[in-house]
Order: sequence, then structure tokens, then C-alpha cells
Amino acid sequence: MKESWSMILTYISAMVLIFVLTFHFLLQGPLAGKSFEDTLAFGYATGNLVSFDFVFGLLLFAAVIHGLNGVRVIALEWFHPKEKAWLLNLVVVMLMAFFLALGSYTLVTVG
Amino acid sequence: MKKDPRYKSGLISSLNPFGYNVERWSYALHRVTGVVLIGYLMAHIFETFELSMGSTAWTNTMNALHSLGPLELVGLWIVAGSALYHGANGIRLILNEMFGKLMGSPILPVYPYSPTSLGRNQRMVVWTITGVVLVLWVWAGLYLLAGLGVV
Repeated sequence: MKESWSMILTYISAMVLIFVLTFHFLLQGPLAGKSFEDTLAFGYATGNLVSFDFVFGLLLFAAVIHGLNGVRVIALEWFHPKEKAWLLNLVVVMLMAFFLALGSYTLVTVG
Repeated sequence: MKKDPRYKSGLISSLNPFGYNVERWSYALHRVTGVVLIGYLMAHIFETFELSMGSTAWTNTMNALHSLGPLELVGLWIVAGSALYHGANGIRLILNEMFGKLMGSPILPVYPYSPTSLGRNQRMVVWTITGVVLVLWVWAGLYLLAGLGVV
């Protein structure tokens, strides 16, 4: 994939994150009308995952892609791997796959 | 392959905001908060995974986090601040880089150079972001303090 496409993906995932992360904060934050401790209760946490599984799925994919691509860009600028950039890309894609699988498993199992 | 000496200063130098304008400070803060957030995200996915293991596993995880005492609160407050700043500054960057907004028109690079990207609009947005994020960060801190029974 061209670097320009990865940057466009970063911008799109960022725009998605602004909305879904705000929603996540509202569920876990002061506007939920609950104390922070209460929002950590098992029933409340699983209830949110069940009720808004699509939103949390979107949040998971956008956050993992945006975050790990950000790490890749920092690593590219730090190490200048040049001909070994493919190795860095491979590691990042594997990490993405791992965290997406773990998060999806949680969503599917709880939901 | 021999490393190009131009790149030897590496990451630390790239994050040095001193001696530069406010855009460089934004850049450095965006990077630092981004690294904080990806670290938290990975831990958060592992943490949320405990939900699928049942209520006992989840309660044990929460108790383990609560045993950190004030560190849990401080950590979450730093994460909240990072998310607020990274998000707000990210909106500015999207407007700048993806849509070409808030930037001045291109001019010939004539000495003494002054970045057209740092015009009145851009400065106003940078300082508005700083103000709004600070207010929301204080709010998040008070909410966390109250939620964890500190105040």
C-alpha cells in the first residue's frame, strides 16, 4: 500500500474516532449520570458492549488501525529502516491482527 | 549500512519543542500524547478482554487496578488529558492537512521567512484548543477524583 493511502486511512480513522470516542467518553463519563466507580461495574460494562456492539466494533477497528499506524510512522522516522521497512510493516500488521482479534473476541463473546 | 549523520539526533531531537514556534509544540505534544494513548489502548483491550472471562475475572482485574491507589487516578487523568488534546489537535491537523483549511495562501519564500501556516486563524485555533482542553481536563480530573471517592 502506498504511504499516501495509509495517511488517508489515518485521517479517516481519526474522524471516526472523534465521534465514537466522544460517545465512549459520554457512556463512561459524567454525562452518563453515574460515578466513575459505577461505570466499571460488570453489568454496566457488558450492557454497554451488548447495546452498542456496532459502535464499539467501529471504535476498536479505528483505534487499532490509527494507533498502530501512528507507531509505524514514528518508527519509520526514528529508525529510517529503508530496505527493511517491509519487516516493520509486517510486525505492525501482525500486531493489528492480534489486537483486532482479541477485541473482536471480547465483543462477540460478551455480545 | 552507515547511518546518515543528519538522522543521528533521532526521536528525542524530533520531540524537542524549544526554540521553535507554537506549531512545533503542538507537534511534540501530539506525538507524546499519541504514544501514551497507544500504550493505554493495548492495555485497555487486554483489560476489556476480562469481561469475556466472566464477572469474577473482571472484578479481580478491577480490584488489582484499584490496588494501585492514587497511581490509577493519576494514570487515568493523564490518559484523559492525552485523549482530549490528541483529539482536539487532531481535528486541527485534519483541517490543515486533509482539507487545507486555516492555513495562509502560499507565498514566495523571501527572507526573513515567516510561516504562512501560522497566521491569525491558526494561532487562534491552537490557543482555543489549549484552553478548551485544559478546562475539560480539569473537569475530567474532578470527575475521576469524585468517582474514586477522593473528594
